[in-house]
Amino acid sequence: MNIEKLGNFTLDDAPKYEDILQCMRCGFCLPTCPTFALTGRERSSPRGRVALARAVAEGKLEFNQAMKEEAFFCLDCRACTTACPSGVQAGSLMEICRAQASQQQPLPKWQAGFRDFILKKMLPNPDLLETSMLPARLYQKLGIQWLVRHSKLLKLGPKWIDKAEGMMPELHQPLRQQLPEFSPAKGEKRGTVAFFLGCVMTLMYAEVSRQTVRVLNHQGFDVITPKTQKCCGAPHLTEGDPETARQLASHNLDLFLDLDVDAIVTDCAGCGAALKEYEEMLAKREDHQRLQIFHSKIKDISEFLIEVGIRTEGLKPVNKIVTYHEPCHLCHAQGISKQPRDIIKSIPGVEFREMKEANWCCGSAATFSLKFTEASQKILDRKLDNVKNTKAEVLVTSNPGCHLQLDWGLREADMAQPVLHLSELLGEATPD
Amino acid sequence: MVAKNILNRLCLKLGKENVISEKEDLLVLGYDATPGLHHAPDIVVYPTSTEAVQAAMQIAREEKLPITPRGSGSGLSGGSIPAHGGMVLCLNRMDKILEIDAENLTVTAEAGVITLNLANAVAEKGLYYPPDPASQKISTIGGNVMEDAGGLRCLKYGVTGDYVMALKCVLPDGSIITTGGKSVKDVAGYSFKDLLISSEGTLAIITEVTMRLIPPPQAKQTMLAYFDNIETAGKAVSEIIAAKIIPSTMEIMDKTTINCVEDYVKIGLPRETAALLLIEVDGHPAVVAEESDGVQRVLKEVNATEIHIAANDEEALELATARRMALSAMARVSPSTLMEDATVPRSYMAQTFAEIQRLAAKYDLTVGTFGHAGDGNLHPTVLCDERDADQMKRAHAFFDDLYTKVLEWGGTVSGEHGIGMAKKDYLARQIGSGGVEVMKRIKKAFDPDGILNPGKIFADD
Repeated sequence: MNIEKLGNFTLDDAPKYEDILQCMRCGFCLPTCPTFALTGRERSSPRGRVALARAVAEGKLEFNQAMKEEAFFCLDCRACTTACPSGVQAGSLMEICRAQASQQQPLPKWQAGFRDFILKKMLPNPDLLETSMLPARLYQKLGIQWLVRHSKLLKLGPKWIDKAEGMMPELHQPLRQQLPEFSPAKGEKRGTVAFFLGCVMTLMYAEVSRQTVRVLNHQGFDVITPKTQKCCGAPHLTEGDPETARQLASHNLDLFLDLDVDAIVTDCAGCGAALKEYEEMLAKREDHQRLQIFHSKIKDISEFLIEVGIRTEGLKPVNKIVTYHEPCHLCHAQGISKQPRDIIKSIPGVEFREMKEANWCCGSAATFSLKFTEASQKILDRKLDNVKNTKAEVLVTSNPGCHLQLDWGLREADMAQPVLHLSELLGEATPD
Repeated sequence: MVAKNILNRLCLKLGKENVISEKEDLLVLGYDATPGLHHAPDIVVYPTSTEAVQAAMQIAREEKLPITPRGSGSGLSGGSIPAHGGMVLCLNRMDKILEIDAENLTVTAEAGVITLNLANAVAEKGLYYPPDPASQKISTIGGNVMEDAGGLRCLKYGVTGDYVMALKCVLPDGSIITTGGKSVKDVAGYSFKDLLISSEGTLAIITEVTMRLIPPPQAKQTMLAYFDNIETAGKAVSEIIAAKIIPSTMEIMDKTTINCVEDYVKIGLPRETAALLLIEVDGHPAVVAEESDGVQRVLKEVNATEIHIAANDEEALELATARRMALSAMARVSPSTLMEDATVPRSYMAQTFAEIQRLAAKYDLTVGTFGHAGDGNLHPTVLCDERDADQMKRAHAFFDDLYTKVLEWGGTVSGEHGIGMAKKDYLARQIGSGGVEVMKRIKKAFDPDGILNPGKIFADD
């Protein structure tokens, strides 16, 4: 094991020098980076960020405020990973730099306390998380939301509070408590899958994941949804807390490997990407073979349905014009681009229209949309323009982060298209 | 870092948002795509008009700051690295396409327009801008002119310089001049614009370009051929040209490159194959059919081991995969890649390959070679690790020996990347001390104080 410190990085959760050197500075990443497009500033580009990290690694730069800023200003959309000829992972590198930031540039005490409360207390504990949503549901149920929105009360406070409130979808009972641990296949049975139910899905998009399970059943799969599953760890990685992420990963790994299933399916692109990264995250702690088996079983819903072959007989026509926004964590992080489109096109009645820059980030990017409201808005506007130009009636995507952002953006821009998760569209076509 | 008063003057003239002086910004504006080279500037400006370029240059001149122009920093010879510090003048924010003139077949654009954006914009009007350097997605048109960038289509369509009609530029003394125009013929005085092409930002800073356009080819045919030795591939290239066929693309890859690509993408390339040629003919459908037959006939005559013909655009793209992946594949297997652009008269290509193989063995290096076979422009690429000092030394010795041979055969030390900082030592070997002296006199006439992009082209600069 490497015990020598790399330049001005601390020992724990430091990047590998080889990974940094891999960048040959060709600049092919530049036209794909939303933050570079926004600022035109080299340091806010993947090439620039890797160069900053290299300077830190070579002791030419302290791990300073600028390095921290760039680590968090990176959307972690991974578009640069897709574009990079030499396989540099600038997004992952910035995740590591966020972990470094939490060691080297700690937050003020109250902020750190709040961050730790969310990351270490709430997210790892599904029961706490669900209870915490009760006030929000009451807020909607009792009509307070209506009052707040119509009085424009929140316009007085910081922008992010207004936006956060505005993004909140109509909340239902968290799905985890309601979904049976076993839902049987319909028609000719084709296999058994486990369902990884993401935190945001169960809390904010319960109805979407309900459709995912329904679709899987209808496609001939028994679905097991273990109630003791926990957060995938993605929020922890993006906020610079890899240790909690590893603990959650270990828990989920043990839980799901105990099940005798053909695949572990998720309908959240962010979770899928994180689950597929367990292999690297836990490389030092877990048996390599177990990690490989786990990795090979993780499937996004679209990836899975295309692999097993989607059964289209009996599907009801959905007579709509549909366009598709690619979640970064699906197309760039997992390389899944064609499958969702193939599924949309396989639904009878659907007219599919490709939008320009479908794989360009929507500006959601975990907490980016709240931390950098202005930058996020500009990235979103670019996306909404592209949506508008397709004249599609429905905007489909398959990640809750994008879903929240796009839904909010379309409403604010007075655009009529609803945002649907791929599972919802397919659910509409799926007979009872 | 520069003195406060210089910073203030620049901010006043150019706008605060167009001047950058923070340490972290300077750190990441001191490189381009050339391995191993870095020198941070003291200040960086982003002028948004020719007049702003002029203003920035005036301040630099008065404050004795060297000026280095920069586009996207995708160059491969260190042309945009501020070798002596000073001011980096980024032209990225001058990115407007000003006019597409369908009657005169020209496009006029600011220097910072991305090459591919320019090509796409004229394509929308049914016109064609052929030069396609590998970095076209990010390179700027101004940078392309300054380095006279090439690409895959040069054999038939020529290089960037062949498309320059007019240039607007600011000279080191602050004067703004326009040279050339939209007239097809123009012999008024010295061909000044031709002097600026490939001058690597040492004579003037280009702010606007007018490029020639042509009607696009109506059809194309893509072919892929494998060979069991490199000489046969070389022979195929010569024979195709001898058959009076000029393909739009004729790209070659050697065995090492093929195996790197196969390791990386696993598309079933035959690992034992010594070389492959990717050939494309384009033009009127009747001509394409005839030339395609001609190429296939030659390939059979020289005994290519396999020939694949693309049935449609999708298949054409598939056939081109290996070539498109060449650099990526090599970049992924090694931490560093030293890519050169030795160029020889076409007839010496097979010898060049043999020499590369001999020298790779002599210096114990892994070298993958691919490139533009039709142009005799090869990219021998050493797979190395810049942390291994001994290996780097051997790599440089390898290129040193190779260039000796290349020059013996009447070739050039740079086909399309430029001299910059990377090849200064080779220039005199190619053009002799007399040639260097004339170039220096030209440089002096434009830039007597030597403030424009110092440390480039000339070994003692």
